[in-house]
Formats: sequence, C-alpha cells, structure tokens
Amino acid sequence: MASTLSRRQLFANAGKTAITASVASVALSEFLAACGTSSATAETGTVTFWHTYDVQGIENQTLLSKVIPAFNKKYPKITIKAQQIPYQSMLQKVTASIAGGNGPDVFRSDIIWMPQLAKIGALMKLDDVVAQRGSEFYAGPLATCAYQGHYYGLPLDTNTKVVIYNKTLFSRAGISAPPKTTDDFKAAAQKIAALGGNVFGYAEGGLDAWNILPWIWTFGGAVTDDAYKTATGYINGPQSVAAIQFLLDMLGAKQLSPSLLGGSSLGTADALGQNLAGMIIDGPWVPPELQKQYGSAQYDFAAMPAGPGGSINVVGGEDIAILANTQNKAAAMTWLTYMTSDEAQRLMGATGQVPTLKAASSDPSYPAYFSYYNSQLATSKPRPVTPNYTQIDTALTDAFTKALQKKTSVQAALDEAASAINALL
Amino acid sequence: MRVSLATNTTSPQSQQRRWWLSVRRYLPIYLLIFPGMALFLVWTMFPLIYAFVMSFFQWNPNPVATSPFSGLANYTRALHDPIFYQALRNTFLYTIITVVGQMAAGLGVAVLLNTKMVGRSVFRIFFYLPVVCSWVVVSIIFSYIFSTGGLVDYIFGTVLHLISPQQNWLGDTALALPTLMLLGIWKGIGWNMVIFLAGLQGIPTEINEAARVDGASRWQIFTRITLPLLRPTISFASVILTIGAFGTFIPMFILTKGGPLHSTETLLTYAYTNAFSSFDFGYGAALTYLFAAFIFVLALIQIRVTRARTQY
Repeated sequence: MASTLSRRQLFANAGKTAITASVASVALSEFLAACGTSSATAETGTVTFWHTYDVQGIENQTLLSKVIPAFNKKYPKITIKAQQIPYQSMLQKVTASIAGGNGPDVFRSDIIWMPQLAKIGALMKLDDVVAQRGSEFYAGPLATCAYQGHYYGLPLDTNTKVVIYNKTLFSRAGISAPPKTTDDFKAAAQKIAALGGNVFGYAEGGLDAWNILPWIWTFGGAVTDDAYKTATGYINGPQSVAAIQFLLDMLGAKQLSPSLLGGSSLGTADALGQNLAGMIIDGPWVPPELQKQYGSAQYDFAAMPAGPGGSINVVGGEDIAILANTQNKAAAMTWLTYMTSDEAQRLMGATGQVPTLKAASSDPSYPAYFSYYNSQLATSKPRPVTPNYTQIDTALTDAFTKALQKKTSVQAALDEAASAINALL
Repeated sequence: MRVSLATNTTSPQSQQRRWWLSVRRYLPIYLLIFPGMALFLVWTMFPLIYAFVMSFFQWNPNPVATSPFSGLANYTRALHDPIFYQALRNTFLYTIITVVGQMAAGLGVAVLLNTKMVGRSVFRIFFYLPVVCSWVVVSIIFSYIFSTGGLVDYIFGTVLHLISPQQNWLGDTALALPTLMLLGIWKGIGWNMVIFLAGLQGIPTEINEAARVDGASRWQIFTRITLPLLRPTISFASVILTIGAFGTFIPMFILTKGGPLHSTETLLTYAYTNAFSSFDFGYGAALTYLFAAFIFVLALIQIRVTRARTQY
C-alpha cells in the first residue's frame, strides 16, 4: 500500500521538477521503465557494469550491439561502460574493488557469490524493488538474491543442466531411446563404452558440487537439512552414499570417463562433439558451442535420469546487483531495471541466457532446446545458500575426490565432509 | 687530527651549519633516490604493514564495515589447521626438490657449455628460453603436454610402452606435485646455467692447468677445485632460488588450484584461497606472515652455512 502511494506522488512530481534526490529518481526510473515509456529522464552519468558474458561469443556481442543501444534509446544521457571480466577472477576483482572503492556500479554476480558479498555489506539492499517487482520473477532464482531476510539483487538469468546425448554413438550402440532412469543411464553408458577405443558412455568434467550434487539429489540425498543446520545424516546418509557409489562403479567399469577426476585438456562438450562421449550433462550454453565447433555433430536432449529422489539437477545462473559504494545510484538502478525488463530479457534470451522474468519465458527467438531446460528447472535445486558456500564447496570436492580416487571408502569420505560442513553452518 | 679538534670545539651554531652543509652536499642523491623510494614505500612497504595489521583482525574488505579485533586468533588457528601443515609440507618439498634439481641440472649444463664446442650459443639460447617465457604461458603449455592422453602419455605410453597411456598427471594426488616440480626445474635450468657459467668463468684457468699437470682426473678437478671455488655462486643461487621456490604461486594457481585434495596446496595458494575465495582476509594475511617468518629463518641459516670464505 505504502509503495503505491509513494509511486503516485512521485509521478505527480515528475512533470514539475527535475528530480535530484537519488532515492526519488530511483523509484521514478523504475516506474517509467515498468511502463515502457521512452520519455527522456533527468538521469545522467556513467554506469560501470562488470559481467562475465562470454567475450568471444554471441552473449557479449548481443550486450554491446543490441542491449546497450536499446537502453540508450530510452536513456540517452546514461553511458553504460560494460567490462568483461573472466569468471575465474571476477570474485577476486570485485572484492579488491570494494576495498579500494574503484569498482563497478552494477555487477552480474554468479548466484553462489551473493550471500558472501551481502555478508560483508558490499551490495545495496533492494528490498523495496523486490517488494514491488518480486512476483514478476520465478521464485527459485529470486531466492538466490536473499540473505538473512533481505534482498540484494534481482535474478538476471537462470540455468540448469540436462542430458545431452550423442545420437551417432547411440545408434551405433543400438540404443533406441534416451535414458529415463538412472538404471537406463548406466545401461546406455555400458553399451556405448563397449564400442571400444577411447569412447566413454558418460563424461563429466570435474568433482565440484556443480558436477556431483545432481546425482546426490537424484538418488534422494542432500547436503544439509532444509534450514542449513546440519549435514549429518544428509551428505553422509545412505542415499548420498549410493549416488557416489553409482559414479564409482561406472568409473571402475570405464563407462564414465576419467575426465571426472580432472587433468584432461579435452572438455566434455568437445568429447561429445568428437564422438568420444555418449552422454554429458550440461547447461544451455553448450549447444551454441557445439553448433559452432562441431557443426556436423548429431545430438539431442533429455531430462536428468530419474532416481529414487526424482529427476533433479542443479540451479545455476546470475543475479544483477548494485554495489553499495556506487556514486551513481539512480543511473545504476535504471540500468538494473532495464536489464531485468522484458525487452532486455528477450534480447539476452536469444543468446542462450534463460530469462528469469516470467513474462519473457517464451519467445520465437529462443532456441528450441530451451524447453528441455525450462522443464528441468521446475525440479532443479539450488546449492546451499550460505555465506560459507565456497568453503562448503571445497569440503564437498575434497570428499568426492577422496571417494572417487579410492583414497577412502565412500562412507568415510562423506562422513568427513559432514563434520567439515557442520563446522561451516 | 685537525678535524677531530674542530668537532670537539664547535659551538651549537657551527654544528647546525655543518648539518646543513652535509644535507646540501647529499641533496642530489636524496632527490635521485626519492622516486624509487616513494614507489617502494607506497607499493611494497605500505601493503606489507597493512597486511600485518590485517592479520590481527577478522578483516572485512569493505572499508565501511567494522572489522573485529581478534588478537592472535588467526595465528593460533593456523597452528591447528591440518591443511596449513599440508601446505607447509608441500612448500618445503617443492622448494628442496626444485632448488636442488635446478642447481644440479643448471650446473651440469653450464659445465658442458663452458667448453669451446660448436654451436654453444645456440644451446645457451635454448636452455635460457624457458626463463624468459611467462609462467602463465609455460603453465598452460604444460597443461596440454601433461593432460590425460596428451603428449607425454603418447610418447611414453603409446609409443614407448613405459607407462599407461592414460595417466592423470595433474588430477592424481600422487602425481600432481611431482609434475609441478618438473615444470619448476625445467623453467629454472636456464637461469642457473647463466649464473654458473659466470661462476665457472671466474675460476682462474691457472688452477685447473696446475691440477692437470699434477695428474688430477676430470672428476677430481670438478669435485676438488671447481665445486669449492663455486661456493659463493652456489650460496647466492640457493638463497635466491629458495626464496623464489617458496613463493611459487602461478603454476599451482593455473594448473591445479592447489588440488587435488590439497596435494599441490602451497602456503601462497592457501593464503590466496582464504582471502579471495573465502573472504577470510585476516587468516590469509596471518598465513603470509608465518610464511615470511619461515623464509627469513631459512635465509639466515643458508647465509650462515655458506658464508665461509673462498680461499685460493
């Protein structure tokens, strides 16, 4: 109720006077953007935007040649300085810039960094914005912007992973349909591995939570309880153990590629494109890469195979947030609002960035394979949303490495993970 | 004599004058030192002191937020952290093996190239080439050479059948650190070669000739004459290399990120991960100070051990 009132007041004021107070102009620009009006506003200035969009691919190109020009048509007085930062160094660069006070105004953050950055007070609270616009977004991605009851950003794009299978190898191995259950998956991997050579049934690129948690959830396991209070009985419960045992068995039988353990320079998508892997489980950015590099590769999509816990994969994606020390709150807010608008969401959606805005969920420009990702998203789960996530991730990777390199038993490795994670909750 | 007399009898006034004269005399020198000193103070001294202060806090990188003082907690935490000890062990192992390996290989190459053989400058260039290449570049090249089924696997596995053709060099806890050591040694041979060549050329040829006349074998000349006379060179190289090896960060960071299972974790990768990935800046700073203390003690020992004077 209060928010409607203030909006109306602001709208009345808008015609009379140029707005200088930052809070007011923030709300105004949001209102104008929501209406889709193209009337010029009083906002000026430069907004520095740091992102990790693929610098050589279509993502960065679309941002620079379509999204920013479209924004400037509406807001000609705001200059967007978009800077691509490699994913590996983004968190470090942002942190250093917070300490030095010379960072970006707006920042596209991996969803797993949000609680950590919110905890140190680096991000501007956006509770008002979420109160007004929260219902426009899917609940899962929106939840990744929250930390201790406050919101620090808006969901920008979301993703999950599905099975991408090599049709050439499937027909060579005599498999007629993509796997529906974990048993089907193992059987298909076995048949493809039997083709011999360096061909593997399933290729996975590492032992991070991102790679392994989908199997744990699919087998009915979890990292912690829902309230993130304890890991005991979850990460070391019988379902989680069964999931790791499943991977260990497949690895031992050479159905699963040793690229799982790292040390391979051939990416899993490359292995699929070169007919060296029957199945990979990966995100919506892979099909455009395959198209570009291996134009003749024959592949199709399937949902994560179902196990005792269902067909569950992991939620990935990015949020967009404003740094708390920005000098240009109003313009920054305008840019954030535009990036989460229907227009920008559709433009970026065409590049494989799955929109988080409900209204932009379908568009003829979106790739056809989006449907697989959209239906998988309905059951996908987030990784633990806590400020100590990066340390939890290390504990999980250590445990998975120990178990799959057979340093200890699966149970012992996961018991160790449970006690390490408990100390971080 | 006159000078000392003058000092004894100077009045405060003339003392002041003398001070001013000496300042004026040395002023150009101070001015010339100043830019370098200023850069050093701002970019080296200040961060060093800042990190030291940081190590006593639960440091929040956000300057607006408060950072609670935690006393020695970060230091005591390190002493109870098993990964700290593993990183320490890895660092020591890496240092000992790469320093000895580089010096032995560099000295060997230097002795071989200290003759008047044909094409020695070509060999010197080849051996020196890795030194001038960036760590990042050689690390990335190594990641291809040592990838599973990569060049090393192909030559030693597929062609020569000495190993399995599918080795997980950088992903196996037993192989990852030795692979990185190999990289460290290979990259350092050229630098050692140059230093030892200089050392070898500083040995007076008369001594070698005299030994040969006395009937000493090549091996005897090497162990009894060359090595003892290279003592200052060995001492210098070992101190510099030890400090360098302790600070190795780039190959680990690029190739293994300290993994698998912390088997290539060094003090610096662990400090970095704690600071920039876990946002535990105080702990990261404390780790680097413990690390600095180790190097300091080690360098003192090394200098003392190798300080004995060379006598001809």
